[in-house]
Amino acid sequence: MFKAIVNKLNPLQLSCSFHTTACLNEVRLLTRLRVVDNSEIGKRAMSEGKPPRVICVYNKQRVGYIGDRVLVAIKGQKKKGILVGLKQTQKVKVPKFDSNNVVLIDDNGTPLGNRIHVPIPTILRTILKERTHAKGADYTKLLAIATKFV
Amino acid sequence: MSLAIRRTTELIGAAKWFLRRDSRVLSTLPEKVEEPPAELTSKRYRRRFFQNEAILETRHAYPEFLPDPNPNWRNSLREKLERADMLERRSQIDIPEFYVGSVLAVTISDPHAQSKTNRFVGICIERKGCGLRAEFTLRNVVDHQGLEVRYDLYDPTIQSIQVLRLEKRLDDKLFYLRDALPEYSTFSFDMDPEILPEGTPIPVNPVQVKLKPRPWLERWERQELKGVSNIEEHLKEKDRVRRELRKTPWEKYDLMKQYRKTIPIEDQSKIWAEVHNQLQQLQMARKKSARKRTFTTPKTQLG
Amino acid sequence: MNQADVSKLVSKLRIRVPAEPRKLRNIKGPEGRIDKLRKTVTGLIKYERIELNSNRGQEARQYAERLISEAIRHGDCHKPTMDIADYWLLEKELIHKLFKVLVPRFQDSNTCYTRLLNAPRIIHSRNPDKVILELKGNPYPVLGSNKMNNRFLIQNVLLDAAKYDYRQAKYAEFAKKIVNKEEKIDTTETEAPSIEKQQSDDKLTQS
Repeated sequence: MFKAIVNKLNPLQLSCSFHTTACLNEVRLLTRLRVVDNSEIGKRAMSEGKPPRVICVYNKQRVGYIGDRVLVAIKGQKKKGILVGLKQTQKVKVPKFDSNNVVLIDDNGTPLGNRIHVPIPTILRTILKERTHAKGADYTKLLAIATKFV
Repeated sequence: MSLAIRRTTELIGAAKWFLRRDSRVLSTLPEKVEEPPAELTSKRYRRRFFQNEAILETRHAYPEFLPDPNPNWRNSLREKLERADMLERRSQIDIPEFYVGSVLAVTISDPHAQSKTNRFVGICIERKGCGLRAEFTLRNVVDHQGLEVRYDLYDPTIQSIQVLRLEKRLDDKLFYLRDALPEYSTFSFDMDPEILPEGTPIPVNPVQVKLKPRPWLERWERQELKGVSNIEEHLKEKDRVRRELRKTPWEKYDLMKQYRKTIPIEDQSKIWAEVHNQLQQLQMARKKSARKRTFTTPKTQLG
Repeated sequence: MNQADVSKLVSKLRIRVPAEPRKLRNIKGPEGRIDKLRKTVTGLIKYERIELNSNRGQEARQYAERLISEAIRHGDCHKPTMDIADYWLLEKELIHKLFKVLVPRFQDSNTCYTRLLNAPRIIHSRNPDKVILELKGNPYPVLGSNKMNNRFLIQNVLLDAAKYDYRQAKYAEFAKKIVNKEEKIDTTETEAPSIEKQQSDDKLTQS
């Protein structure tokens, strides 16, 4: 089919050089994210139209899934964040968002803002509890500032 | 003892013989069975045909009872078992009739939530899969954030499925709501169920949504959508040319392509004959319970 | 797992339908493929028996079967069916043939409407396999009636001749034996009965 159309467009060239696979919407290196908390730096970055970019995903696959920790470049600074909503196709009963959402945290897991203004998937509660260790960072503080769960 | 038994059996045998003979005498069937007149057969045939048609109409409401049209993935035993399981599940919870475009409220038991239940309201934008793997997707906009949740229709964790607004839209899939303005897919969580009067056909909502400016997730202009009003505004000349090139007017006439997508009538009527009665009974039971039920507004639940 | 399309109802084909359609090689892609098949289906409806390459014949058969089954199911007063017939039959007088001739012919049949036979293949040739596609109930002589009980089949003719020869040989042997015996037992008797017997034997063999 595509070959036929390419032939129509350009009868001399008989191969189709662009790929036609649907995109996966994965969070990878240099993906733009949306900051959804009310931290000062996040708000300014979003209002200026320069959303943060992923410069590292802290897992083995280097593809961010829900609840994963990422390092983002935001307004010339490096900040850590937690992915709280993904565009990618999710498992059954896990919500799929229209944007890739991130909540900025510091090294101890404390959120930089004090309110999240979009809904948060409930599965994050379990994931973040699992990720939290007694002596390491405490990510469950993020759950406390959420306004709504879906 | 044995003698007695033998005598009784003899007696029974004689009685049987007599009965058979008697009945044969009484029935007085002619040797040749007269063929019924042509009109009668055609009438009977027509009645059966209409009954069959009525049974076949169930396919719109319960499409997941039909198996996969791809013959490579067919397995008659598995399909039969799955149908039995689906009916079993339907007898446990009330899975109402709904279509793409209906607004649903789904309550699931969620181990991650604080209240251990999770309620989500949204418009059904897609139904897919067959058998026990049937799925549907709900879409809603909460706090200006678009959300989509995919549910298995026969998931055992589903506590209830409630139809808040029963209607159809102009298209079979409503993926264009992702690129439409958010008000078209915003539904409040404390929406009241709208009850249709009994016996009315399913209304088709003729609303045409407005799309946001490009970039879009898909090339909507090539999909011949009826439910989008302002698609031409956002197109350039290049897109129109490409759309013309991509058009496949012959596919409408590709008889085998249609055939490979559907289940033929003969196979369908077998399946519907198997499940139709039970589905009908479930529907009657639902109607009865709906009359009894006192109306209560559902409360909003936070996580 | 796909959901079956419920918007249209189709009657079941009486032939085996492969899961995937065959690709017929064409520079114009799927459009050209359908055009090719349209020509073939038109030819089939017109001539009722055509010879084709195997791939194209097998694919065209499915489309012809579908066209006839649609015509039988909906009749000629159904607008979409008329459109389909109009698209598939390039010569417009064939639409009348489809609804007036073929529909009554196949209305009460409970088998498929077409027959597909392999054409004889030239050994060591590089030509593609040929098939013969025909509508059932056509006026031409029957193809491929190589029934084993046909009297004029060459194998059966040869076998019959061999049987006849064998029988003749056996009868001659018997006759000789009997003659010898009688000569031994009674030399005084005349040879008339034995000759009679031989004659009767001959009659038997002739019959």
